[in-house]
Amino acid sequence: MFLIALAVLGLGAGAFVLAAIHADGVSAWVRTLPQRLRKRGWSLLLVPLALQYALLTNRPGTGVGEVLVAVAIVAFAPRVATKAVPFGLLILGLWGVDLVRNYQDGDQTHHLYGVVLAGTGSWWHLVLPEALLFLAAGAWLFLRVGAPGAGYVRALAGRTAAAAAGRPSGWALLLLPVLILSVEVLGLRHWLGQQWWTAEWTVLAAVVLAAGAIFLVRRAPTVAAILGATGLQVLGVYGIILGAIWRPSIPGRYFGLVGLSGQFGSRAGVIGQGLVLLAAGVYLMPRVIREHIAGAPDPKVASLTQRVQTLTQTRTDAVDAAAAELRRIERDLHDGAQARLVALGMSLQAAERMFASNPEAALALVIEAKETSSRALTDLRDLVRGIYPPVLADRGLADAVRALVLDTPLHTELDIDLPGPDGRDSIIEMPVGAAVYFAVAEALANAVRHSGARTVRIHLSYAAGTLRAQVTDDGAGGADPTAGTGLAGVERRLATFDGILAVSSPPGGPTIIAIEVPCGLSSAKISSC
Amino acid sequence: MRIVIGEDLFLLREGLVKLLSAHGFDVVAAVATAPELLAALVEERPDVGIVDVRLPPTHTDDGLRAALEARARVPGLPVLVLSQYVEQLYARELLADQAGGVGYLLKDRVFNDDQFTGAIRTVAAGGTVLDPEVIRKLLDRHSRTEPLSRLTAREREVLALMAEGRSNAAIAQRLFVTDKAVSKHAAGIFAKLDLAPSDDDNRRVLAVLAYLES
Repeated sequence: MFLIALAVLGLGAGAFVLAAIHADGVSAWVRTLPQRLRKRGWSLLLVPLALQYALLTNRPGTGVGEVLVAVAIVAFAPRVATKAVPFGLLILGLWGVDLVRNYQDGDQTHHLYGVVLAGTGSWWHLVLPEALLFLAAGAWLFLRVGAPGAGYVRALAGRTAAAAAGRPSGWALLLLPVLILSVEVLGLRHWLGQQWWTAEWTVLAAVVLAAGAIFLVRRAPTVAAILGATGLQVLGVYGIILGAIWRPSIPGRYFGLVGLSGQFGSRAGVIGQGLVLLAAGVYLMPRVIREHIAGAPDPKVASLTQRVQTLTQTRTDAVDAAAAELRRIERDLHDGAQARLVALGMSLQAAERMFASNPEAALALVIEAKETSSRALTDLRDLVRGIYPPVLADRGLADAVRALVLDTPLHTELDIDLPGPDGRDSIIEMPVGAAVYFAVAEALANAVRHSGARTVRIHLSYAAGTLRAQVTDDGAGGADPTAGTGLAGVERRLATFDGILAVSSPPGGPTIIAIEVPCGLSSAKISSC
Repeated sequence: MRIVIGEDLFLLREGLVKLLSAHGFDVVAAVATAPELLAALVEERPDVGIVDVRLPPTHTDDGLRAALEARARVPGLPVLVLSQYVEQLYARELLADQAGGVGYLLKDRVFNDDQFTGAIRTVAAGGTVLDPEVIRKLLDRHSRTEPLSRLTAREREVLALMAEGRSNAAIAQRLFVTDKAVSKHAAGIFAKLDLAPSDDDNRRVLAVLAYLES
């Protein structure tokens, strides 16, 4: 195989020399090579991996075909190559572990594994660290390059860890390593020798066990913790017994980190490991039992507790907001319409007094009174609009937003997709409609005031129990949702209905303000919103 | 001139009846709900129906809907819609059939007898009367855009009054200028906005509104 590798190198050198005749093109090619290689990134690892597999499988013509295929994939489908590399590393790592475990004294096979030539009396003890390194690198790359399944693994790990760690029984996670150790000790792999136990059974068993364990960890963490601690004790006792009746005759069997025979076998190691496991199990057992008796918090209870906290907060906000709103209305009435009505009464009183003596002055006062009453009406109109816009009361959300757009000095595109006959008597319940209306009004006002936008797009839709509104402007962006009180107030008002508001406003725009409120339709009476 | 009134507040209804009677109008029906109003408008075929937007039974825009329905059944039936607030949305709906004979005013415009009765007569004659508040919002909306920004302050004033539905004579009186001066301003406005000039008051209003609403 080395001869063949040498031949490939020779061919490559020959091609290089041939190409050197076209020196300009080649020097450019060489100069830009590092840059292009950097661009390929992790996908380049696929080539040495291909060579490694070819060497491990001892195939004739070792490596040439595999390497060529790998180069082609890297060149033409670098993304595929990048996503394949972590899997390649993981398989290589497992392969290494397998090599070590199947090694028997007197084994005559030679393998080039990584940088180590593994064969009789050679560098066997370096294979395992190398394999672990490959596994670690593979796992790291798996998450880093976003290989297929990485998102799911990350989410599952996050959810499982959160489910276990968020509760007293963080020990529930112990079940997973205990399970892996048990499977290894039972020697599931070696049942493959039996006729009725096929590879499919092994995969099925692994999947069922893993799924069951994860289910238990998430749904009944205290039970999982007790099982884990019990498993530790059983494994510990088993290890001690194995050590006591030491019979170094079972090839390739391991107990945890220590072999039961061969070069890696160690009676003291097996007994010591058994003692450590037993001690850990005994230490944990009373604790996890206490936790179980105390009662693991029901996931329902946890989520209800969270809900009560949210409701308490939003109720306080709603009460505060209502009080502030009432104060504002009181002040507006006091300084506006009320004051004007007082002035009106005084004008009429003065006119009455002058009616006989100075009819002309009286007339002037009456005209003044008429104007004052008109201004009082204007004040009241503005106030009413701020409390509950009349169009919203008359027609519902869709037409209220249409009316809002008509009063906006910007080009506005409206896309309304609400159920109901033409939004005529819109069936979104009134308090939710009002909250969303004021949210859209605030977003629109911000677009007019700050963004320098030319066009605003408003999208209103209702689907699957959620009312959504999105206001997008093509302005300068860079809006800070935390600055100013407008959007913060809107957010608090929406929170009363479990609604949320999100702002995306990168410098240079566009600014997108998105609102979502869970909401039943008033006709259906699905919920109380 | 025969008038039908639809207004649910007793004091306002009676006030309107008294005011209009005092100005020599003949109030043939004064009703308090939308169904009654629709029946009265269709049966009486008044010269003008004066309609409050918000009426029973639902206290939303029943009055407006009754007025639109009546105009659908009796095309061009003149209606003057009154409201505590004005919305461009409702103005558009009233103007949508292009049939003329439409008015849309704030209730407080009733305070000015001459203006109010003038509006009733314009609507009865098939003209269009829009509240200055509606026009102000329309102009605000276009204030940033060409070519409206090229109008002089005086031309904008004249444009607003034209859009409200006033005749040249009324505009001249309001601005204390001669009819001729108003004609000149109107010609200037139509030239700058690239509209075909028209001597017919109603068609002129519709042209201006169509321009502003575009």
